[in-house]
Amino acid sequence: MNHMIDLITPLQLAFPEAVGNATLAHYLFVSAAMFVMGLVGFMTRRNMIVMFLCTELMFQGAGLALIAFGRHHLGADGQTFVIFVLCVAAAEAAMALALVVLLFRHRETLSSQAWKELNG
Amino acid sequence: MITSLTSILEPVLSSTAMLAPDAHGHAAHTEIGSGPSWILLIVGLPLLASIISGLAAALGVKSKQPAWTTVIACFIAFLFTVSMYISYDGTPYTVKAFDWIQVHTDSHGSLIANFSFYIDTLSIYWMLFVTGLATLIALYASEYMSHDVGLGYCRFFAAFGLFVFSMACLVMGDNFLMLYLGWEGVGLCSYLLIGYFYKKPEAVAAAKKAFIVNRIGDLGLALGVYLTFVHFGTLEYAKLFSDPKLLSYVEYASVGNFSAIPATAQWIPLLLMVGAFGKSAQFPLYVWLPDAMEGPTPVSALIHAATMVTAGVYLIARTYPLFIASEHALPIVAWIGTITALLAATIGMAQFDIKRIMAYSTVSQLGYMFAGLGVLTPTGGVYHVLTHAFFKALLFLCCGAVMHGFAGQLDLRKLSGLRQVKGWGIVTIGMLVGCINLAGVPFTAGYFSKDTILAEAFVTPGYELLGWILIFTAGLTAYYTFRVFFRVFMGPVEYHPGDEAHDHDHDNDAHGEQHHHDAGQNGDHHSDHFHPHAPGWAINTVLATLTIASLAASGLYIVGGSSDKHTKHYAETMVMSSTAAFSSPYSEHAFHAAHDSHDDDAHAPDDHGSDHAAPAAGVGPRGTIEHAQTVPLFGGDPHKMMYYISGVVGVIGIALAWFLHLFGRTEAATCKMDPIARLFGPIPKWAEHKWYVDEIYWAVIVTPLRIFSHVLHWFDKLVIDGIVNLFGILPRVGAWIVRPSQSGVLQGYAVSMAGGVAILLLVVFVLIAQGGLS
Amino acid sequence: MSAIWTLLLIALPLLGALLVAFDREEGAYQSAWRTMILTLIPAVFMLMNFDFSHASMFQGAASITWVEALGLKLSIGTDSIAVLLIALTALLGPIVVAASKTAITTNRRMYYSWLLVLQAAMVGVFAARDLLLFYICFEFTLLPMFILIRVFGSTNRVAASTKFFLYTFTGSMITLAGLFFVVTFVARETGLWTLDIGIITAIAPRMPVEHQALVLGAMLAGFAVKVPLFPVHTWLPLAHTEAPTAGSVILAGVLLKLGTYGILRFAIPVVPGAFVEYAPMIATLSVIGIIYAGLICWVQTDIKKLVAYSSVSHLGFCVLGLAAVNASGLSGSVLYMLSHGLSTGGLFLMIGFMYERYHTRDMNTVGGLASKMPVWSFFMVFFAMASVGLPGLNGFPSELLCLIAAFQADATWTAMGEPGAWGVTLGPWFAVFAGTGMVIAAMYLLYMVGKICFGPYREPKDHHAHPVLPADLNKREIWTLIPLALGCLVFGLKPVYLLDAIEQPVNATIAHVEAASGAAAPRIDDHPEHHMDHQSGDHAESTTHHDTITMGVTP
Repeated sequence: MNHMIDLITPLQLAFPEAVGNATLAHYLFVSAAMFVMGLVGFMTRRNMIVMFLCTELMFQGAGLALIAFGRHHLGADGQTFVIFVLCVAAAEAAMALALVVLLFRHRETLSSQAWKELNG
Repeated sequence: MITSLTSILEPVLSSTAMLAPDAHGHAAHTEIGSGPSWILLIVGLPLLASIISGLAAALGVKSKQPAWTTVIACFIAFLFTVSMYISYDGTPYTVKAFDWIQVHTDSHGSLIANFSFYIDTLSIYWMLFVTGLATLIALYASEYMSHDVGLGYCRFFAAFGLFVFSMACLVMGDNFLMLYLGWEGVGLCSYLLIGYFYKKPEAVAAAKKAFIVNRIGDLGLALGVYLTFVHFGTLEYAKLFSDPKLLSYVEYASVGNFSAIPATAQWIPLLLMVGAFGKSAQFPLYVWLPDAMEGPTPVSALIHAATMVTAGVYLIARTYPLFIASEHALPIVAWIGTITALLAATIGMAQFDIKRIMAYSTVSQLGYMFAGLGVLTPTGGVYHVLTHAFFKALLFLCCGAVMHGFAGQLDLRKLSGLRQVKGWGIVTIGMLVGCINLAGVPFTAGYFSKDTILAEAFVTPGYELLGWILIFTAGLTAYYTFRVFFRVFMGPVEYHPGDEAHDHDHDNDAHGEQHHHDAGQNGDHHSDHFHPHAPGWAINTVLATLTIASLAASGLYIVGGSSDKHTKHYAETMVMSSTAAFSSPYSEHAFHAAHDSHDDDAHAPDDHGSDHAAPAAGVGPRGTIEHAQTVPLFGGDPHKMMYYISGVVGVIGIALAWFLHLFGRTEAATCKMDPIARLFGPIPKWAEHKWYVDEIYWAVIVTPLRIFSHVLHWFDKLVIDGIVNLFGILPRVGAWIVRPSQSGVLQGYAVSMAGGVAILLLVVFVLIAQGGLS
Repeated sequence: MSAIWTLLLIALPLLGALLVAFDREEGAYQSAWRTMILTLIPAVFMLMNFDFSHASMFQGAASITWVEALGLKLSIGTDSIAVLLIALTALLGPIVVAASKTAITTNRRMYYSWLLVLQAAMVGVFAARDLLLFYICFEFTLLPMFILIRVFGSTNRVAASTKFFLYTFTGSMITLAGLFFVVTFVARETGLWTLDIGIITAIAPRMPVEHQALVLGAMLAGFAVKVPLFPVHTWLPLAHTEAPTAGSVILAGVLLKLGTYGILRFAIPVVPGAFVEYAPMIATLSVIGIIYAGLICWVQTDIKKLVAYSSVSHLGFCVLGLAAVNASGLSGSVLYMLSHGLSTGGLFLMIGFMYERYHTRDMNTVGGLASKMPVWSFFMVFFAMASVGLPGLNGFPSELLCLIAAFQADATWTAMGEPGAWGVTLGPWFAVFAGTGMVIAAMYLLYMVGKICFGPYREPKDHHAHPVLPADLNKREIWTLIPLALGCLVFGLKPVYLLDAIEQPVNATIAHVEAASGAAAPRIDDHPEHHMDHQSGDHAESTTHHDTITMGVTP
């Protein structure tokens, strides 16, 4: 598989480059970085809005990887998936923020620790 | 009356396009002529009356209209039956109303049971007395039930009409399923009518008992019927009794070669007879009939004495070839009948309720009929059905008149000397005629019909003991019959009113005015000045008619023989040209069609008509070849000797009853029997308690079954449902174990998720590194 | 026959459900009632236009393709059995709505809209010609019923609804797995992904018998629970007892038949080899159920529970007929599906009417109603007698055919292939034991009638007259009963109509099983002429087909 990553297809050459000589590896690195930032943020922060933003970050990281692979394989599947994901994420954002507002009204705080009693 | 009817109906009969099959009859066994459709009215009119009575109930009719509708419908049905009898030319035919159940299959023959009717001498014979008695008893009931005019009255006659309809289906149905329809239909009507006084718990219990005990019998009947279909591939009489398979079985049986008959065929009658035992109240299923006396007396007379309970006799007579073809069936029938006759007679001797005495005598007499069937004289059994129908209906109706007049009093210790009470003459005469018939006083119908059975027990080898038991029972019968007569109708005048069971329990619209009928005669039932009210015109007319009919029935023993069939009297002619003959009337022709080359079959069809003249090929009780010869009884022909023996036994019984219960009796409650009874110790008490058979059944069958059902119920609740609930509990247990891992801290979930992913990745990497996934 | 009638039968109740759901609370009853009556019209047209001379053909076929590559489509089509069951469903619709008028006083919109959805789903099950639609509708009957019990049931409704839902749902999940197994097999055989029932039925019998047995087990997991067959019946008494009257009527009238219908449509034709092999076991279970549930009925004090257990007992006959796999058995079984709902449904209506007035179902508390409620008592006795199996009423022909089938079952199984590992057959004793169910039915039903209708009048201590309803039945209630009572009479007196109508599909099913089980059954010629040839021969040795049925006694 390794030799594929360095290969730049003729179709890619036909488009103006956003980043010079950006290969699949670059995209994947960015995507992984976004995902890890999101993950670390989610694990360490207590503020529900920040945690929500972190999940969004993870989402977009995964989406970026999908688009990169889709572009790499010259298929539309990856982009299609991402559009689906974006839709779902938009709906989810609306729901989640509304929920957060509701939760805030109950406890006057945004800390997720306030809802600790929702345990098993 | 019959002759004048003939002349009236002659033009009707000749004008109806009756399909008359040729005189030789049954050319091809499956082809059977169809009769005129007015025969359907015999079945339809009672049903119509029932529907009209039901509508009257819905409309709240408060008159005697339902009674008149029923009387008229039954009477017209009777007239049609008579005309059916007159126009009958000796060839069975069917009349089809509509298709009922049909399943066409390739493998087991099509199951066809249509709503159609089979007319032969046996069904005509039965229908004559069923419709005739139904008319009379409906008339009687119109007066008897008059205290209930309104909803109850409609209900009574609706069930009454339905009963006559069902009975007609039972008797005239052309297939076993029609028989079964009628069978269960009469059971339903019996249930409804026994439970007529539905507020009385005893009546409800009796009704339930009757239905359930009958249902046990019905199960036997149903299985027998189904097995008949499975074995013979048909349910229709016309096809079954001309089935060469069955005819060959009968032939094997007539030479005692039972091993040639398949076991399935031999099981059929054993199952059918269970049904007969249930419906006809034979041991061990007789227990419902005495309790059934909770119903109104006309019901007891019609259903539980004259017609419905003889359905078992009809069934066996109708399917006689099937019974012949079984090694053990007829001996079992004979012995069960005998045991029942004796057992019921002993119980009847010790009862004090006159209606119960009559009930036990019915059971006992039905035992005689079964014994008659069992000892190879369907004629005797069937003749006894007819004579018994008349005199027992008469006896019950007399008891009913007493009950009606004396405010429900039935205890023979509290009634005496009714002969001398004004207005009870016809009842007394009716009772006397009924009693001499039942007791078998010489030259009465009951005497002749019973003798036919008794004598045959000595003619058919192997049944001498049975014969002596039956003779002894005849003595008992005479004794307990006249015990009733001498105590209730003879002796000093004394009477105490009953508790008005049937009136007070059933004041539906209790405003007192429904007593208009008897209000003038007895104002207050419970005062010391009790005045019995004598029966009115309807009851008296019916009693007089039945008295005459009971006396006239003995004439049937003398007239009506057929030289064709070598028969001596009416009943024999009727029986011997039906399927109740030793082999079916089809056999002669079907055999000749099937066995042109066989000569040895010739004797079978020739003998069947003449069991008295030369009962050559009777079926022995042990399946041996029994070429019956005239067994001498006291050095003479049993049929002749039996006249003397049974006459003497009957007279002895009456004399005993006279000495013990009338001679020197000064009050109702005591008689010479009392000290004698004490000598026997507890035995009379046991007999009065019916030998504790009910209690034994209760203890041995009902209670254990009930306990078992409770056990099952708890088993269902705890074990079966418990296992189901266990499946519900298992996930809960699992959840309880893993529950602590849900800490409620979101970050904790995230860490464990990330950790899980990391571990998975690690595994994948390790596997890749080892080349495991390539 | 045009597919439009079937489609209307599904669409109209759904539309009605929407209408009711968004209508005013007060108008819910009227709207539901009108919808149900309107639904009768396509039902009548469907019956009229159905060509009964080709009764085994699936008429009125229509389909919508959904995902072609996976063979997913929704298709409908009805043979005469399905048509009759749909007609029964349509008939029960207005009856249950009318019976609920005074019983349901709160949440009426919810109640009637779910009732209408249930109606559509039931029609869908019978009309489905592919597994997808069948399964969707089969499962979708659960939800409305769950809500009817959960929200509108009596005291113990939560437990009852939960058990009902989880029990039947778990069973049908296993069925789904089994059906997928069949679908993959068919796909392998034909190279075609299809859920079409016709194709599956034609191909699936090629499966090896061991696999068939697995599939049969999976199918029975769903269908036997639905029937319900002993020992997976315990949800039924609970659900019946707690459900509102309409729920009980529909449950007894139609929902239980989904199980037997499933066996008839899937278990028998799809895996005939295994079915014949395990038929003795199924028959044994049904006979046990008949007796077991009957005896339990006898000791109940809750009248509704009694009738509920009687359903278990009665449906045992139905499954016994199916297990016998012969013409009388299948005809009897289909007849039972059609007729059982009338009498038992009637009994549930009666109990509902009584419950509205007395607020108890305990026979020790209330009884002797014949004097207070003569009309009610008349119908009670009538339906009880129909349930007992009195000839002339609906129960009898079906019971008769099932019992005759039980007599012949042994011979049928032997002819169709050796009953295998479970081949402990009871021979004619099946019929004898099942027949005792007749006696037991009389015992418990007369026990019930004797207590509730007859005897001295008893009423609960704090009994008040109903504010709206009269002491006896009112006109609306009588009119809900009359169609059922007439149905009982017609089914009892003219079962020949139904038997003729279902004859072709039944024979087609049997022919299918015979062909599939390899050796077609040897034909038994029962014509008398045939036996004439045997006349001269020794009958003891000429073992005809019937003579294989012996009862253990040698002459």
